[in-house]
Amino acid sequence: MSIQDDPVQREIHQDWANREYIEVITSSIKKIADFLNSFDMSCRSRLATLNEKLTALERRIEYIEARVSGFEGIHRKVLFT
Amino acid sequence: MPLVTRNIEPRHVCRQVLPSTIRSELECVTNISLANIIRQLGSLSKYAEDVFGELFVQAGTFAIRVNSLGERVDRLQVKVTQLDPKEEEVSLQAITQKKAFHSNLTQDQQLFCRPSLPLPVQETYLICNPPPPLNNLSQYRDDGKDALKFYTDPSYFFDLWKEKMLQDTKDIMKERRKHRKEKKDNQNMRTLNPRKIKTRKDEWERRKMGEEFVVPKNDMGESLEGLNGSIGSGEVAPGPTWPLPLPHLPLPPLAWGSLPLPPSGFDSSPPAPPPLFSSAYPSPPAPPSPLSQTTISPPPPPSLPQGGGAPPPPPPPPPPGPPPPSSGLPPPSFSIGAPPPLKPTQVQPEAPADAHNDLLSAIRQGFNLRKVEEQKEQEKKDNYGNDVAAILSRRIAVECSDSEDDSSELDDDDWSE
Repeated sequence: MSIQDDPVQREIHQDWANREYIEVITSSIKKIADFLNSFDMSCRSRLATLNEKLTALERRIEYIEARVSGFEGIHRKVLFT
Repeated sequence: MPLVTRNIEPRHVCRQVLPSTIRSELECVTNISLANIIRQLGSLSKYAEDVFGELFVQAGTFAIRVNSLGERVDRLQVKVTQLDPKEEEVSLQAITQKKAFHSNLTQDQQLFCRPSLPLPVQETYLICNPPPPLNNLSQYRDDGKDALKFYTDPSYFFDLWKEKMLQDTKDIMKERRKHRKEKKDNQNMRTLNPRKIKTRKDEWERRKMGEEFVVPKNDMGESLEGLNGSIGSGEVAPGPTWPLPLPHLPLPPLAWGSLPLPPSGFDSSPPAPPPLFSSAYPSPPAPPSPLSQTTISPPPPPSLPQGGGAPPPPPPPPPPGPPPPSSGLPPPSFSIGAPPPLKPTQVQPEAPADAHNDLLSAIRQGFNLRKVEEQKEQEKKDNYGNDVAAILSRRIAVECSDSEDDSSELDDDDWSE
């Protein structure tokens, strides 16, 4: 029995080791995917706040430019992008 | 149903059919799963590059904007140091006459259209089956429409909305013309100038505290303009109709129960409008005053029905106008051979009956006119085409703002935000 089981046992042990190895690799792949998602989300939110600040600054600068240059008939219609 | 943006390719690492000729199945499974892991890593790296690429592009645009902003700030700095308060000439006229500063508001459009899809989702769409090539059959259609549009038309709702907006603008233009005619008839009896000046001051005073605190207009005693302005955003242009003695009213779609107003029924109309308006109008004694003026002047009301008889006929012809061109004309417009056969057949009956000459010539002219109209309409549509929802939303702003000037600015701000 033991002699017959040895190759099978060896195979099974080897298989278990292989599976653990594969499991480690797949779990690290999942961690990478998670990291990518969270990085993407946080980056987008930061860029969005940056965008808001930039637009606010641009509007203030437009107003200041208009005041400095003396309101030369600045009446712009609503722009559509 | 939420779509996954990036799907890593071999979803299941070890779920694969094993070839049956292998002895050591466990090793086979291990090797297959290792191979799938490598494929997964490959697709993962591809998507990671995509993600970082998108973020990089966005950050790049922001960098450009920041740089331009920095340059503007530097220029401004230089300019400000050069400013000399004694040199500046500030004239009172310049302050009042020159137009006020309006910052240009950019509205984002076409946000969720096909080109703006992220790449991975576009690729998923490309994997799907395309719609059947029904457009090959459109050459056999008589009315010249795309055959595929009957199966699937992505622009259907946009076209519907566009037509509705066009209709609304036309209706409002007609109503405005009628109101102008009626106002001209009535203005001889009233002096509106002092009222106009008052409303502007009120407008500015109310805006002192900031736009959020502006209370909608309370005075019924103010001119019709005030009424129109307050109603402007919700119900378009039913305002001026009720104080004017209009027994006929070309405004069927509006929810005015008091539409068929006999000249004697003035007292019923003012109680009807105040319940309709949700905002506060705490001065009911004001409306009877303009009404008393109108009751005192009987000549205008009789003149109005005569003038009103003319406007209702114009509205009916335009609606029948568009349907006949679409249904009756496509054969002549798309088959050039049709008009020549029509003409010879028309020449023969001309000889026997001279009385029909005028009719036939009128019919020919009518056909020509309609062809030209249809071509012009098509050209107009192509020119505006899908210029942008901009033009359409601008039309709506025009609708609301032209109702009257005073609160139009408020409405424009609402629209532009």
